[in-house]
Amino acid sequence: MLSDTSFLIALALMTVATLLTRMSGPVLMAHVRLTPRVERFLEGLAVSVVAALVASNLVGTPANTVPVLGAVLVMLLTRSAIWAMLAGMVIAAALHAGFAI
Amino acid sequence: MTAPSQADPPVTLTLAAVLRGMQRLFPVSLFVLPFGTAFGVAAVDQGLSAAQAIAMSALVFTAIAQFAALDLLIDPVPFGSLVMVMLALNARHVIIGAALARWINQLSWRARVLTLAFLSDANFADTRPMLQGGDADLGPLLGGGLMLWLAWVSSTALGALAGDLIGDTSAYGFGAVMVYFFAAQVVRGVRTSGSLLLCACVAMGVAVMTHANLPVGWNVILAALIGGGLAAATDAGTQAKTQAKTNAE
Repeated sequence: MLSDTSFLIALALMTVATLLTRMSGPVLMAHVRLTPRVERFLEGLAVSVVAALVASNLVGTPANTVPVLGAVLVMLLTRSAIWAMLAGMVIAAALHAGFAI
Repeated sequence: MTAPSQADPPVTLTLAAVLRGMQRLFPVSLFVLPFGTAFGVAAVDQGLSAAQAIAMSALVFTAIAQFAALDLLIDPVPFGSLVMVMLALNARHVIIGAALARWINQLSWRARVLTLAFLSDANFADTRPMLQGGDADLGPLLGGGLMLWLAWVSSTALGALAGDLIGDTSAYGFGAVMVYFFAAQVVRGVRTSGSLLLCACVAMGVAVMTHANLPVGWNVILAALIGGGLAAATDAGTQAKTQAKTNAE
């Protein structure tokens, strides 16, 4: 069981660490010249970090692969992230129900 | 090359635009509700009180890292690992913050801190194209963030207080919703620039291959840096375009 003091210290550390990540982008960029190459790096970084999160999740939960592919397909067709999320959920629920039977 | 800020209209942060941002992200925030409820349930399962779970969501406000941190809220707390996990899983904030720097850095210090405190993936994804298109009001960024925050904190409270009644929300497949949202964002990103498809694929490959060998979150950072480096290294097309534009002017 976690003591109240330990939780408060942990909470303070989590809050500061997260705030630091939120603040540091604009602070850093105030000191970096925005060349086209830097912009390309940021753009590649932005897409790659999210793609890597998806891939990482799929390693841990391979059952998500088909729903993710469904979400990608729906996103390509509708260009709506909301429809893509719904599609992923419906496919996952359908697969889940299928396995249960 | 000229300083872009000189040509841009002055950046503002108006209340009307904040409210507009709250409206814009209302539908998206509905999808946060099951996720926040799941967090509330999981936090109480882990032994936190409802008040602690709610305080965590209100102050930290970052879904994935909060879930990951739950496993580390044990006695004794591995404080070092906890901080590393928070930094690693939130490192993408640095990236999206950097992508908004051109506008955010024109605000006053106070407005800057306020806006950045509510920065997350969804309000970034919603606002960045508007700014790129010439809109100079950061209100929708803050408003969208506030909407997401309200949904996140209130649903955490719901899960923490009524978790026993709701039961295990993971059975409904809500936990994976964020992954579908992320997958959709990758598609959106690749759409804006087809050459990013290669970066995304390489990043996914790196993340998968290093998943077993690196601590939680670090495989994602490594993958993102390699993807970004690849984009920077293959920027011939962009440079040519910029050059052509400069020549035309």
